[in-house]
Order: sequence, then structure tokens, then C-alpha cells
Amino acid sequence: MSTIISAKNVSKWFGEVVALNDLNVEIETGVTGLLGANGAGKSTFIKLALGLYRPSRGSVTVFGESPRNNAAVLRRIGYCPELDTFYDNMTGYEYVYWLSRYWGMSAKHAQVAAEQACDRVGMTERMDDPIEEYSKGMRQRIKIAQALSTDPDLLFLDEPMAGLDPQGREEMFSLIRELGDNGYSVVVSSHILYEVERVTDNVVLLFQGSIMAHGKVREIRSLIDAHPHTIHVDCSAPRILATHFVQDESVLHLDFEGESRLVIRTKDPNACYARINAAALEPDVEVTRIHCADDSLQAVFDYLVK
Amino acid sequence: MMDQSSHAFTKTSILPKPVAPSGTLAQYIHCLRASFGHSLTLMLRRQRIIFAAVITFLPVVIPLAIAFFSDSQFARSGMDVFSKMAGEAHINTLAPLLALFFATMIIGEDVESRTIPLMLTRPMPRSAWVFGRFGAYLMVSTAILGTSMLLTFGASTALSDLAFDRDGLEKLFTYELAMLLALMANGALALFLGAVTKRPIIIGLIFLYGWQRLATFVPGVVDFLTIMKYTTEMLPVALESTNQVVREEILEFKKQQYLVGASKAAITLLGITAVLLGGSVVVVRIREYATDRAAGT
Repeated sequence: MSTIISAKNVSKWFGEVVALNDLNVEIETGVTGLLGANGAGKSTFIKLALGLYRPSRGSVTVFGESPRNNAAVLRRIGYCPELDTFYDNMTGYEYVYWLSRYWGMSAKHAQVAAEQACDRVGMTERMDDPIEEYSKGMRQRIKIAQALSTDPDLLFLDEPMAGLDPQGREEMFSLIRELGDNGYSVVVSSHILYEVERVTDNVVLLFQGSIMAHGKVREIRSLIDAHPHTIHVDCSAPRILATHFVQDESVLHLDFEGESRLVIRTKDPNACYARINAAALEPDVEVTRIHCADDSLQAVFDYLVK
Repeated sequence: MMDQSSHAFTKTSILPKPVAPSGTLAQYIHCLRASFGHSLTLMLRRQRIIFAAVITFLPVVIPLAIAFFSDSQFARSGMDVFSKMAGEAHINTLAPLLALFFATMIIGEDVESRTIPLMLTRPMPRSAWVFGRFGAYLMVSTAILGTSMLLTFGASTALSDLAFDRDGLEKLFTYELAMLLALMANGALALFLGAVTKRPIIIGLIFLYGWQRLATFVPGVVDFLTIMKYTTEMLPVALESTNQVVREEILEFKKQQYLVGASKAAITLLGITAVLLGGSVVVVRIREYATDRAAGT
């Protein structure tokens, strides 16, 4: 793993609006989720990394260099913007073709690259149709195609799942995971935690222009060990199971949901899991499911924000 | 600074590795051609090109109408009619209009359609992008306006003292050259306005049709701050007179009116074009175009 994006003491403001505030982060190779609510500074960070903005303070480097007006860096980057960014009277194929030409490809190479990129995102059949006739999902896919057509080392996907139907989302998750598995570095921004969780466990959490947390989901969770974890255990005899935790000092709260679920709030989830495993061996406690809500990024995010 | 080699990737490409041209010049030419071709495609597909062409070809009708309807001795001078049409209509009115139609959108269109982040994240020299697009504008506008001027010339031959002979064609060539320089200077101004302002057409209208016209009526040297001053100076008036007295009178008149002469005017127009194109490239390099949409996102 090596650092590909480095932001040091980066602040960015627009007039009186502070979009990023003294940001320090290093993003390594692989898939990274850029997570935060609307207005957290995700898009601003991406635009700084793309060289579209100059930092008001601090510095951003990509592949060790400043990205702004730097062809050597930009040649290795692909970008799929959040907004619909299309030219009028243009087909999907032409869109990808011309953007490939701007990358520096010859007409012949750009034709091949555009066809293959359209094919890669499943747009071959519709690539010769005007973009105006595309659905939201198709537009999203053609934007991804233009970002992929130059085979970048680093790909920025700004809210790539926005507007996609469930099947489209699954395909997008699958594509991003495949890119990651093949050694591409991908920065995926989203304000929906579930989406990021589906493609990576490596996240940067932004909140009001500042880094709230950065690392693996579990590493982030270790930062908040002071907060109790909630574990749901579905079993045949939750009240019998509960007796195993009554004496446990790390358990803060026990609750029952219906006739078959025990909810445990604990400060020591590992010890709790061990105790559940031991109890599950008893014949009268048939455990059917163990679920820790705190494995979800949403829970981590909620903890951190609150 | 980190070592570039530390960012070597062990990547398995899911698409064929693209081929970039080797050599800085080759890359520049590729990007220039891409910018030119893309811009040309976009311009030719716009409906406004039809509107622009219709307006631009209107002057062709006027000599024919004069030949058909007028009995005036003055009106029968084809050279006069053509000079007025080419100078007033083509060069000083339609050239700025085409610049506003097309050149303001060279960068302005990308800003408006939000495609500018895509452009600015391409590994291309910003100058290649700007020059390529400017070349496409120049090609389209010259084709339209040049053809219109040629047809106006042809229509004017229906009147007296103008024909497709050597003299006539020389005159036509001079006007066509002046038109090209007018398109260049006005286009560069419109391009620059598109790069620096949000309302290039309105500001362009005010400058090209408001300020320029006003400046010609203001005594003194204010009109030096217009493009029209120099395009007008390019036009062949009575300067070619062989009469020594007339020539001296004209020279005296030129001094009094701060006239600069055709060659100096041409150099000035080229200079204006170069400065404004260079300025546009600088603006594109330093301006943060996505700023307007960034706050709060």
C-alpha cells in the first residue's frame, strides 16, 4: 500500500463559507469511501485532488505532485462527476470518444477505447442514442465509461450510485469492487453509508469540513470503544440466554424484543461474543442469528456525529 | 515531495491501456486537433448556426434589390455598394455578431453545461484547448461570413463598375482579409469575455455595439480603445488615388483624425487577438470554474 493522495493542513473556503477546515489525510491505494452528509466537504475534497481548486491553505498532492494543471498527474486520473455533465446533441459514444480524444488519444485509439468502455458498463446497445434519451442510470453509466476509457490508475467517483435503481446499484457495487480487486485505486464519495460499506471497509468520514475519522470501519469503531455496542441475538430462549450476562460488569443493558430476541448493550463486545458462543452450546438455547448493529457504518457515523 | 516511482501500480487493466502520443509536441497537436474537432462538431450541430447564417447572408440581397428597384446614379456604383456592405455590414456589424454567437461559447458553453470540470481534468495543455476551439470558431465564422461577402460581391457586379476582374478580385481579397482580422479580434474578445465573466453576451453586446459606436462619435483618441477603429482602417477607401494632391490631403486628414493606416491596423488587430487569446489561456489556468457550485456541497 502506498499513499496516493495526501492533504496537509488543507483548508478551502469560498467567501465566508468554509468548505474544508484544516484537513489532514493520506489516502492509500485501493478503494476508499469518502463519507459524509451533504455539505460535509466531499466534493470539495475531490475537486482539490483533481486540481480544479487551489487550497486556500495547505497543500494537496496526488501521486506525490500537485494535481493542478499537471498533465502527468491528470493522465493517471479518471473522474466521474456527481452532476450530469453532458454536451447537447451528442450520443453516449461520442461523449466518451471526445473525452478520450482530449486525453490525447488519436481518433483511431479513441474509437476503440470508447467502444470498449461503453461495453464495459453495458451501454453498447444504446451508445449511439442521444444522451438526452438516456435514463438516469444510463447517464450515470456513460459518465463512468468516460472515466474508465483512459484506464486511469486513480478513479474519483462522486456519488456514483445517485439515481440508480437497485439493479444498477448492484452493478455499480460490483464494478467498483472489481476495479479494486484489479489494483485500481478508487475514491467513492457518498452520503449514504450503506453504499460505501458495500464496496469498501476503508473510509474517510467527513463532517462539516473536517475529518471525523479515517481507517477501517473496525479501526474506527475501536476509536469509539467508550460507546456501548449493541448486539442482537436471535434465539429460542432469550431469557435463559440473558442469565449468562446478568453478572457481567461490561454489560450495561439487557432487553427483549418479542419472544425470540435478546438485545445486549456492552462495553466489551469481544467478551460478549465469547459468552454468547459458550451459551449457544447449551441444548436449550438455540441461537439462530447474531447481529451487531455497530458493524454498520451508519452506527459508527451516528456515534461520531452525535 | 514523494518519489514518483513509489506510486507504481500493480494493476490489472480491465480495459486496454490507452495509447498516448509520445513527445510533447505530438501530444499538443493531438489535443489541439481534439479540441478543434469537438468544437467544430458542436458548432455545426447547433441550431443557432442556421440563424447566424440567415442573418449573415442578408447583405447579399441588398445589391440585387438596389439593382432592381433604384434608378439613382449613386446606387448604380457596384464598388460603392459592395464597399458599404462589406465594411459596414460584414466587417463592423456581422463579424462582432458572429463572435458573440460562437466565440463567447468557446469556454462559456462548458461553464454553462457544467462540463468544464471534465475539460480541466484532462491532461491537455490549456492553450491547446483554447486555441483548438478558437480555430473551430474561426473556421465556421469565416466560412459563413466569407461566403456571404463573396456572394455580396457577386451580387454587386450586377451594378456598374464592378466585375470579377483583377481589380475587383483584389478589392474583394482586401475586404476578405479585413473580415478575417475582424473575426479574429472580435472572436478573441468574445472568447476572453466568456472565460472571465458569467454574462459574456451581454457585456459583449455593450462593448461591441454600444461602446464602439459611441466611441466613434467622441472627439479625440477614445476610439483607439475599440476594435472597430482598426477594422475600419483596414478598408480600402480613396487611399489608392494616384493624384498627388488628393494623396496629400488624405494624409493630412489621417493625421488630424489619428488614423493609423492599414498595415498598422492589421498588426494591431493581430496583437489584440494574441493578447486576448493569451489572456484567455491564463484565465483558464488560474480561475476556479467550479467555485460557484462548490459552496455547501
